[in-house]
Amino acid sequence: MKRLKFAAYDKQESRAAYLFIFPAFLLLALFIFYPMFRALLISFQNYNLISTRSAFAGLDNYAKLFTDRDFGASLWHSFYFTLVVLPVQTAISLGLALLVQRKFRGVGFFRTVYFIPVVVSFAIASTIFKLLYNKDYGMLNVILKGIGLQGVDFLSNPDISMWGIIILCIWRAMGFVMIIFLAGLNNIPESLYEAAHVDGANPLQRFYLITIPLLKRTMAFVVIITTMDALKIFIPIYITTSGGPAGSTSTVVHFIYETAFKQMNMGYAAAAAFLFFFLVLAISVVQLRIFRTDVEY
Amino acid sequence: MNKNLLVIVRTVVMIAIAVVALFPIYWMVMSSFRTHEEIFKYTTLSPELFMPVRWTLQNYKDIFLDPSKPFGRYMLNTLFVAAFVTACGLVVNAMAAFAFAKLRFPFKKLLLTIFMSSLVIPYEVIMIPQYLLMRDLSWINTFTALIVPQIVWVFGIFMLVQFFSDVPRDILDAGRMDGAGWLRIFGKIVLPTAVPAMITLGIMTFLNQWDSFLWPLVVINEEKKQVIQVAISSFQSLRNISWGKIMAATSISSVPVLVLFLFLQRYYVQGITMSGVKG
Repeated sequence: MKRLKFAAYDKQESRAAYLFIFPAFLLLALFIFYPMFRALLISFQNYNLISTRSAFAGLDNYAKLFTDRDFGASLWHSFYFTLVVLPVQTAISLGLALLVQRKFRGVGFFRTVYFIPVVVSFAIASTIFKLLYNKDYGMLNVILKGIGLQGVDFLSNPDISMWGIIILCIWRAMGFVMIIFLAGLNNIPESLYEAAHVDGANPLQRFYLITIPLLKRTMAFVVIITTMDALKIFIPIYITTSGGPAGSTSTVVHFIYETAFKQMNMGYAAAAAFLFFFLVLAISVVQLRIFRTDVEY
Repeated sequence: MNKNLLVIVRTVVMIAIAVVALFPIYWMVMSSFRTHEEIFKYTTLSPELFMPVRWTLQNYKDIFLDPSKPFGRYMLNTLFVAAFVTACGLVVNAMAAFAFAKLRFPFKKLLLTIFMSSLVIPYEVIMIPQYLLMRDLSWINTFTALIVPQIVWVFGIFMLVQFFSDVPRDILDAGRMDGAGWLRIFGKIVLPTAVPAMITLGIMTFLNQWDSFLWPLVVINEEKKQVIQVAISSFQSLRNISWGKIMAATSISSVPVLVLFLFLQRYYVQGITMSGVKG
């Protein structure tokens, strides 16, 4: 279709379009863009809700963050969490997708079952796992002891408390990622596999030479989404450990929440949020570049 | 033969994973039917560990009858907020999506870019000023704070744009010829074709709201107005609370959603797939 000139727009149609968009635009401006702008302003202030005085602080908040041990530790915990969850969860989910990809009797049942944890809310999943992990009465430890192993104190030992949260998060998210991989796998034409089979490629070769390269776009999406979500982990932390024991599970969002709504130090928390935002953005950009795909099919 | 062995191994693995996926939920439901003493009684491997010995509904009675933590009230609050956000969200987002997908108007690209750019804004950053805005509007401790800022959902708009762009322009022009206004065309011609998409978006919105945690945690401090997820998390901080009650609360707030999902899973899964494939 040839490009329409400005004057060629139907006046009534344009007016209708603006009216259609207006409610969404107004809400977006008021509740997303304006807060974003205000967050930037607040991050340059000593904005404390208790004293209700706000003074311009320039870059003080940002400078302070760089030497704040608690913030540094929370950053490290978020990254540690992500570095574990990203490969493990991606591998498990891809494995699940491969298991239920082929059509056979009962496959629909397994797909549904693997997806069910996704429908359980994060708060509820965290609650269940908190009780499952209980040192004395929790089911998990009862089973471990029952088969002759040592009980594990999942949530109150600083060395492994993060692992308790990692397991819980993977349990809840694996079905979600599986569905995305499943969609990606189904986009790969069957003829490619048949051709490879004729050429004598074994299943492992077919996986490495066809599935993995052609799954690159899906993989990119999964990696970026998982990274973003994992870095922002908050609900399970808040519910199971509240950042403890000994601060060993305090993540960045938990730090921001505590600083803003417990210590009422809004300016400092906003600065932390902004710094974190740019970090996440930079990571996403790097990941996008790595995954920039040139495979066509 | 080798192939048979492979099928057996695969089936065993699949069943094992299914058990892992379902066990926590099964355990939650079973524990909710146990008496207080029973939960802490069995600490060795035994059949009693997996099935209540004396089934009881006491936990459910307790959570609904406790006046200091009125669970029925929390459920109604959450239902009200989630239903309201879903209904308003469908209208507002579908209208915007229709304009972007089918109408021709100046600055369309620019507006679309503005909408798009909001997707990179992280919730953590705007949470604090959003809270301050609620305070300035005196919306703290009101359902308005839970509803109004949640209505517009840019991801939802883009999902619907994909669906609406498949509607042929000719139908719209034919409607114009018959003298129908754009609102009428939208309501009578476009929306009916997008029912599956609307169901998908509706389910996703509703579930998001049902699960909503951080925002209510921040803006609602009044016990009576709390929503279900935050209420459950506050149950655990009570002293001497029985696990049975906590499990009854989590069961009653997740099992209906699970059942609903089983009936509508096609739509829900489709929504996720779209976000993955086109994203």
